Amino acid sequence: MVTVLDPSFGEDADAFDLPDRPVSLVGATVGIISNGKANTRPFFAHLARLLREEWGVAEVVLRTKSNYSAPAERSLIDEAAHWAVMFAGVGD
Amino acid sequence: MQPLRSRSIEVDDDGVQELFRQRGWTDGLPVVAPTPERVEAMLAWAGAAPDHVVGVETVKERALTAEKVAVNAVLAGCLPPDFPVVIAAVEAVCRPEFLVHGATASTGGCAVLLVVNGPVRQQLGMSSAHSVLAGPDRASVCIGRAVRLVLRNLLEVRPGELDRSTLGHPGKLSWCVAEDEEGGLPWLPLGTERGVPDGISSVTAFAASGPRQVMNEWTTDPAEVLTTVVAEIKATMLHYSIWAGNYAVMFPPQLRTVFHDAGWSKADVRQYVYDHAVVHRSDWERVGKRAVVSDRNRHVEYRALPAPEHLLVISGGGEAGGFAAVIPPWLGPKSAAVTAGVGVCFEC
Repeated sequence: MVTVLDPSFGEDADAFDLPDRPVSLVGATVGIISNGKANTRPFFAHLARLLREEWGVAEVVLRTKSNYSAPAERSLIDEAAHWAVMFAGVGD
Repeated sequence: MQPLRSRSIEVDDDGVQELFRQRGWTDGLPVVAPTPERVEAMLAWAGAAPDHVVGVETVKERALTAEKVAVNAVLAGCLPPDFPVVIAAVEAVCRPEFLVHGATASTGGCAVLLVVNGPVRQQLGMSSAHSVLAGPDRASVCIGRAVRLVLRNLLEVRPGELDRSTLGHPGKLSWCVAEDEEGGLPWLPLGTERGVPDGISSVTAFAASGPRQVMNEWTTDPAEVLTTVVAEIKATMLHYSIWAGNYAVMFPPQLRTVFHDAGWSKADVRQYVYDHAVVHRSDWERVGKRAVVSDRNRHVEYRALPAPEHLLVISGGGEAGGFAAVIPPWLGPKSAAVTAGVGVCFEC
């Protein structure tokens, strides 16, 4: 037998719980955080239309990160706390 | 020494490789078993306490300790004398301006290129000659791999997980080069040019796309050599990314002779490339990118370098051959090259 050490960060990672998923989007406020790349504009515009017309979403809030390679800035995270659902991230 | 905090696992001698493969803790190559004794030897050589924070990855807010970095360095095959270089490399990639989260998660698929300068190169037997960009010796391969395993095991930079590279390139497995500092004046080592005091070793980390090899063996005019280099940089700007940032260029002895004989310093090389590596938006039309050219932007000028000092000029390669390598940035200014001292903080 040999003793080896765990090379991962796993044991020190902070655990967190996922929230329950909403059962309906009717009347909800839904946020979209775009990474700002050009192709996200028509994609998220189409998604916003679907959310409003087919899923009964009351308001779609579209925001764009200032740097598409970095996480959303603190102000956007704080604003997202008021949304029922958030869409974030399109690769390209 | 403080006690180690990592979870220990008892495993049959014959089961080590399978354990690490099953847990996703290896890049696929065999690993060296990270026993407590081997990890302690790493830490002792560097004089690092296990809980010393080498760097903090700011997105996950994870403090990467010397102990965890050492475990991964052992895995990668490093020997204790390699460890101070690994520590410096991890320090560099954790600096905010390197943007390690973006660089390692991006679809752009860059790798971390490490350039080692100073006396540690000879102490570790690192080679700057033949096949310098492809892991020419044990220390280069193991140090580069150690950083890759740190990213993999401590930050989940695994293909399909955090690593969303569309293609990636072979340098992602391990990419560490020692600059050829003995190759002739008036060229200064990269570390020296970036502010490292004489006699101090350093590591420069650069989020780099794959190298593009060029050749010009038919001139003794340094401007003509650089015209070839600039043509490749301009092609990269059009075919890949137009945004300005750090670029690296590596020159082997044969081409350096052209510069040395003409009295051109690295600064002269940088200025020439800054002046000439320029394209216009309209140039995108001839490479199939007409959709992003408009009457409003077609005359906009783009430079490869925000300023001359953004070009990393590196000496390395075998003695014969008029080849140079252009190493583009991951994505313009998103990530900046960072230099860290080995075993010393020269900026503190």
